[in-house]
Amino acid sequence: MGTALISIGVRAMAASYASIQTTAHNIANAGVEGYSRQETLLATSQGQFTGAGFFGRGVDVAGVVRTRDAFLTREAATAKALAAKDAVRATYLDQLQSVFRTGEQGIGYAISRFFAATSDLASQPADAATRQVVLARAQDLALLFQGAGTQLAQLQAGVTQELQVSVQTVNGIAASIARVNNDIAAARGLGQEPNDLLDQRDRLISQLSEHVQVSTLPAEDGTVGVFMAGGERLVLGTVAEKLTLVPDAFDSSRSAIALSEGATTRRLATDALGGGRIAGLLQFQNTDIVAAQLQLGQLAYGITDAVNKQQMLGMNLLPPAGTVASSALFGIEESAKGKVYAASTNQSTSADYQLEMRVVDASQLQASEYELRADPSIPGNWIVRRVPADGSAPVAIVPGVTLAIDGLEIDFDILGTVADTDRFLLAPVTRAAIGMTTALSDPLGLAAASPFVADTPAANTGSLAVQALRMVDTPTHAPANVSNIAITFTGPDASGQGMLYDTAVYDDLGNLVGGSSGNTWMPGATIPAPPDPDINGFTLTVTGVPAAGDAIRIEPTTYPAQNNGNALALNGLGSLNLIGLSATPTGAPSGGFSFNNAFIAALADIGVRAQGAEAAAAISAARADQAEQARVDKSGVNLDEEAARLIQFQQSYQAAAKVLQIAQSVFSELLKITGG
Amino acid sequence: MRVTTYNAYRDTIHNLQQRQQDLQQIQEQLTSGKRVAKPSDDPVAAARAERALATMTRADAQQRALEASRTVTQMTESALGDAGELLQTARETLLAAGNASYTDAERQALVLTLKGVREQLLGVANRSDGVGSHLFGGQGSASPPFVEVPNAPDPVTGVADPPTRVEYRGVRGDTRVATEERLGTMIDGEDTWLLAPNGAQPPDPTTVSVFEVLDKAISALSASGASGDDVAAAVKAGVAGVDHSLSHLLSVRARVGEALNRTDRAELRIADTKLAAQTERSNAEDLDLVQAISDFQNQQTGYDAALKAYSMVQKLSLFNYISG
Repeated sequence: MGTALISIGVRAMAASYASIQTTAHNIANAGVEGYSRQETLLATSQGQFTGAGFFGRGVDVAGVVRTRDAFLTREAATAKALAAKDAVRATYLDQLQSVFRTGEQGIGYAISRFFAATSDLASQPADAATRQVVLARAQDLALLFQGAGTQLAQLQAGVTQELQVSVQTVNGIAASIARVNNDIAAARGLGQEPNDLLDQRDRLISQLSEHVQVSTLPAEDGTVGVFMAGGERLVLGTVAEKLTLVPDAFDSSRSAIALSEGATTRRLATDALGGGRIAGLLQFQNTDIVAAQLQLGQLAYGITDAVNKQQMLGMNLLPPAGTVASSALFGIEESAKGKVYAASTNQSTSADYQLEMRVVDASQLQASEYELRADPSIPGNWIVRRVPADGSAPVAIVPGVTLAIDGLEIDFDILGTVADTDRFLLAPVTRAAIGMTTALSDPLGLAAASPFVADTPAANTGSLAVQALRMVDTPTHAPANVSNIAITFTGPDASGQGMLYDTAVYDDLGNLVGGSSGNTWMPGATIPAPPDPDINGFTLTVTGVPAAGDAIRIEPTTYPAQNNGNALALNGLGSLNLIGLSATPTGAPSGGFSFNNAFIAALADIGVRAQGAEAAAAISAARADQAEQARVDKSGVNLDEEAARLIQFQQSYQAAAKVLQIAQSVFSELLKITGG
Repeated sequence: MRVTTYNAYRDTIHNLQQRQQDLQQIQEQLTSGKRVAKPSDDPVAAARAERALATMTRADAQQRALEASRTVTQMTESALGDAGELLQTARETLLAAGNASYTDAERQALVLTLKGVREQLLGVANRSDGVGSHLFGGQGSASPPFVEVPNAPDPVTGVADPPTRVEYRGVRGDTRVATEERLGTMIDGEDTWLLAPNGAQPPDPTTVSVFEVLDKAISALSASGASGDDVAAAVKAGVAGVDHSLSHLLSVRARVGEALNRTDRAELRIADTKLAAQTERSNAEDLDLVQAISDFQNQQTGYDAALKAYSMVQKLSLFNYISG
């Protein structure tokens, strides 16, 4: 009888002690991230049967469990993955927008200043200092584009490095999870939950979520399987797979992620990654850097092409003045020009096909790359579509027939066999910015003069006056072979509003070598007005109204040092829409931006991206915070609570000790009676 | 709701950091004076400011082009004024030479004056803009644009009379600078000096060259033993020619004066454009100081309160009461 009481007391003391120990463990780990509060589970011992009924036999320690909510833990990990993705993209976009600087340090200002310098050149076409300034401004502009391109390349390199680190971290954590899985399975064999190991695994999964979004699936043996968001297996039981960083299928300067499963390596689609830093970095690389590169490249290409075209149509002052053909002002390095990539996964080799791309009209270039692939809906047909997709319909391309699209001409021909899974990427402008240079070093080489001058003879009776002669194309008849070109107004047109005119080109011997008749001039329009073709490479801007019989006389420029026609035309380029024009089925391409506005649009685009990413990062960080708070509030330690429990268990312990004391006194009382 | 100790501290620290960040951001804005430091601060405002900056830069360039135009046009205006005075002198000299009582020698003195006036006029017509071009160079010219070339001898007399003439070696038409108003610089010298209308009614296409008029008058008046009729005819023709030239020069001068007026109007427009662009830029990206200072004080108070609350709450613990 007394032994039963002692036994109850001892077990109660042991139970209280165990509870105090667990509480102490909780207090000790109160500041450890990812620690789940533990509780000692006590169970009442089954009573002993006697004739008088069941007598209780005290308490048993059934085990130690952790308070954890599987749902909240999973939620916290997923939210953390999304927050990490948004945060890393926002950080990088913040760096990216420094490429698009505003104000006096920006590319926009450099564009304005270059065109302002051409205005000064028009005021003093022969002045050496003015010419030098134009060259210097051109150099500034090219250097800023180069600098921006270099910054983008550095960002890309940074992304690749960070991806490498993340991939290594993921592989390390995955291996640790596999190891902990093993330990847990072993410990579970002993029949009790290894709480601290379980906490450690939860912590590892949470750390893993920082880099890749994962889902978990518990197995019978206490291990968990860890799967990527796309369902790919990362850890199963005690085996971990490895992520690897591989070059992009097309452009090897970009990176992609692959998963090695045994001997095979499988590329993972970026959009299937869900959250995590890796997904954020890849998204930044594949959409944001590319968008910046494309917009800058489109602008660099457009400025280079438009300025060069105008420059090469004009006359420079290189000795002997007026005889040396003008050369380009800007250049784009060969390596930075348009590139054609074949996917590394293609079955065909370069001998199986011919694929070339030419820029025919830089003003129609779009900030886009193009993917050439088999038409998924019509076998045997091929299509070209813009990437990143912008909602425009794919265009069919027939092998052997040149395709004209967005200012490009694409030649694609199949020589051998090209599998319908093969893909090609055409990148006309992506790298243009980094390769922009100035190609002219002699200020005298600037073509400020126009090769032709126009004037209205004194005998004219109308009020017509020529305001500007602008070269728009290479003249059919070179200035040296032309004596004069006459535009003669013959009389009112049928509507009575306009005037009909004839043109006549005379060669240096005075023979009529070209011209047209019956053209119509309408008030306010240029001569000739689009879509009429230019007259020997130029168009005229006029004011006033001609009378029948009036003429305009155009002659080759005799004094290039004092002529500013081409400087005015160069200056005029600054306010024309020459970037991203869209082809129209009939007539001239329309829409588009001026150089300044194209830069502003790019700047606003990147600004909106950065702003959006910041907002997204703030929201997802708050969500992750909330989820983590919910998880910790459920499973974390509250010191006041533990203090209260300490008192509670201390008192239980004291009470149990009292039981022992009573049992002892009961027992000695009995001894006293029997023993005397 | 259960609150865990770990979270309580973490949250407080997080909030304190957040407040510190906000405070720092507004401090940055206050020191830079800019509300928009990078595109993401306000993409629309950044684009507006950038567009305004482009407008300002273009306005500056147009202002410089306008100054270039004005300098040349003012020089042209004063050259035309000088030419007018010279022609007045020529007219008076011609009239004086018509005095029938003058001897050959007395006339020669006046012819010398006429020759001087003609030389000066040629100098005015060839006046340079100081930086390599000529005021009357049109759309480009030889340097100088007006040159004297010998006249072919008369097939009958074998004598060239007058011995030389002035030709224009330039391209007709005016040169313009890069402003929206298409302000001009060099004007058409041939039209100004060599192609004055002859004043006939109705107008006929015959034109008058001021140099030819003077050359002919000088030639006729310097002939020794010229008859009174010859002299009178030469003076009559000379005065008529000078009058036509003078009235044409005056009309050109009026046109140039009008161009200067247009320059002044263009300058006002450019100044307005620039001011509007400056205002636009400032509105788009500059900080509202009053608002910012008030925000800053708000944030400061908030941060202060958070610190106090933290220091008070962290003192609370059950352990403080169960010691002993």
